[in-house]
Amino acid sequence: MLTVDIQIHQPYALTSPLDLHARFELPAGRCLGIMGASGSGKTTLLHSIAGLLSPASGVIRSHADVWFDAKQHIQLPPWQRPVGLVFQDGRLFPHMTVEQNLRYGMPAGEGQISLQDVVRVLEIGALLKRKPGQLSGGEKQRVAIGRALLRQPSVLLMDEPLSGLDDQLKQQVLPYIKQVIATFGLPTLYVSHVGDEVAEVADEVLTLAQGQLRQAK
Amino acid sequence: MWTLSPAELAIVLLSLKVAACCVLVLLLPAIGMAWLLARKQFWGHALVDALVHLPMVLPPVVLGYMLLVLLGRRGWIGSWLYEQFHIQLTFHWWGAVIASAVMAFPLMVRAIRQALMQVNPLLEQAAQTLGASPAKTFFTITLPLAYHGVLTGGILAFSRSLGEFGATITFAGNLEGETRTLPLAIYSLTQSPEGDAAALRLVILSVLVSVAALLVSQWLERRLLRSQR
Amino acid sequence: MKKWLCLGLCLISVLAQAEDNKIKVFAAASLTDVMNVLVKQYGQQTGVQVVPVYGGSGTLAKQLEQGAPGDLFISADEKWMQYLKDKQLVQVPTIKPWLGNRLVMITPQNKPLTIKAEASTDISQQAPGYWCTGDTLSVPVGIYAKQSLTNLGWWDKLKTKLVSTQDVRATLSLVERDECDVGIVYASDAQSSSKVKVAGEFAESSHVPIVYPMALLPQAASEAAAFYRYLQSAEARKLLLSYGFKPLFND
Repeated sequence: MLTVDIQIHQPYALTSPLDLHARFELPAGRCLGIMGASGSGKTTLLHSIAGLLSPASGVIRSHADVWFDAKQHIQLPPWQRPVGLVFQDGRLFPHMTVEQNLRYGMPAGEGQISLQDVVRVLEIGALLKRKPGQLSGGEKQRVAIGRALLRQPSVLLMDEPLSGLDDQLKQQVLPYIKQVIATFGLPTLYVSHVGDEVAEVADEVLTLAQGQLRQAK
Repeated sequence: MWTLSPAELAIVLLSLKVAACCVLVLLLPAIGMAWLLARKQFWGHALVDALVHLPMVLPPVVLGYMLLVLLGRRGWIGSWLYEQFHIQLTFHWWGAVIASAVMAFPLMVRAIRQALMQVNPLLEQAAQTLGASPAKTFFTITLPLAYHGVLTGGILAFSRSLGEFGATITFAGNLEGETRTLPLAIYSLTQSPEGDAAALRLVILSVLVSVAALLVSQWLERRLLRSQR
Repeated sequence: MKKWLCLGLCLISVLAQAEDNKIKVFAAASLTDVMNVLVKQYGQQTGVQVVPVYGGSGTLAKQLEQGAPGDLFISADEKWMQYLKDKQLVQVPTIKPWLGNRLVMITPQNKPLTIKAEASTDISQQAPGYWCTGDTLSVPVGIYAKQSLTNLGWWDKLKTKLVSTQDVRATLSLVERDECDVGIVYASDAQSSSKVKVAGEFAESSHVPIVYPMALLPQAASEAAAFYRYLQSAEARKLLLSYGFKPLFND
């Protein structure tokens, strides 16, 4: 269960000053969709949960682990938070093979999610020895998703994973995302500005607008 | 006529030894300084940057003199080294290494820094979300992506060391077998009337060694480039 | 590097002083202190300005060979005078032995030593540190030093520890700084510095006699000849003796 109750204050945000208050809970096995226009703060929200940014106030908890607590001055750095963040632009490491990319975040020892599982579900077995420069856009995103999964995260964060792809590739990759959510059952936050896309993937959809993200109880 | 005398061979080997050690000694400090200048903002950044570049601007003999003041047997640090450990850097090949290293440091830092600045920080961000601490990120993502700069910097430092004269002769002195590298040997020979022919041989040798070093570096570059494909 | 710098400066000064009647004296480095005084005295007496250029005799000879402008050349050994003579770069009739000197060993003032310049001395044990002298291939003091060291059987033991300098003053400087444990310089150099102590003297028989020849150069002006004569005057003799040199001329 991921509990988020934070306020983000960014007077120097790219598009316009950002003042965001987000409060929600994400139970295990659920996919929560977040809909919002460009510039509404969706990426900022995910980055804050991942630990790349620091909210102005509030709390972020995963089960009993406190990742962020402004009052107690607790702020775990990103590498200590078991999150799987799929970036909009994939961000595969160009100097490593696909397999090395996949293995990058894998902790030592056996995990719940194995390399074979991920390769099977995302159908990237043929790509393992290639370098990211040799992949198509859709293939890159699939590898990026696989890499995030192999981190054995307690929450999967997907930041508009399809927005960099053309329509045809979007149609290709979307089923894989649904398959991943169904197969691995990780609590997932799926963020996008495309309403239909979010609706297809998520169990519940929240809207981020005017700096407010609230969950109906 | 086409073979090296033992003395000439000794001079070449000394030069290569000093140059190789110069690069090895500079590797960590240059990478560290390049990273500091490329990635960190702090008060005094411009000052540190200027100090790093100082050896490029000052005459080598002046730098040699400064090294003497600092590390000579009566120097600020040198006297401590001598009294405590009986270490004397002047007239020792390590003195030549230090002289070369001081002169080559800015070259290496510049090359690595430029390469580091070209590494996409978003990739480092991604690595962090995948559980990589800053140290792991640096060694697995940043540095490998900047290898080109490290290689270029190393080659520049090696070449600079091979040609280093002013700081070496001032600080390390001219002692045959210890600090008389190729440039110093050529200098010594050109000072004596019968030495011109021998000096010419060493000059040709210097050119050959430099060309060889360049060829090796190009081969290294190609190999590393291929392994990245 | 210093040589090219000197050459560059010489060329610039030629261009700048094309019309000047300054006399340029290229003098061995060991003459630095005494020549400065001689030049000053001569200037006070005659109003003629003499500009000395100091360096290792070989460096100076090579500069003159390259066309550096000079009127008078004073070398610390006959070899370098012969070098210019062979290249017809001196007025042969004006070559004459001017001074003599002695070869001594010096140590930093805080580390006095007594070294007997004899073959029986165990030099590695007596003076185990670094030795300095001029380059034994090209600098006169170094050439004399090698002769003496070879003569005493010390050469093989010391050569791996013998640092070469570009002139005798650089050696003096290294010993003053306590970088070098023992320096081989002229007696006149040892005398000129309070920061070094003489440890011993090499017998004159152990090396070729130390002779400082001087000669006028072909392009020398007439004022140079006057200075050339002044250097052989009684007044000069007195000064040279006080600085530790041995005048070889008759007034």
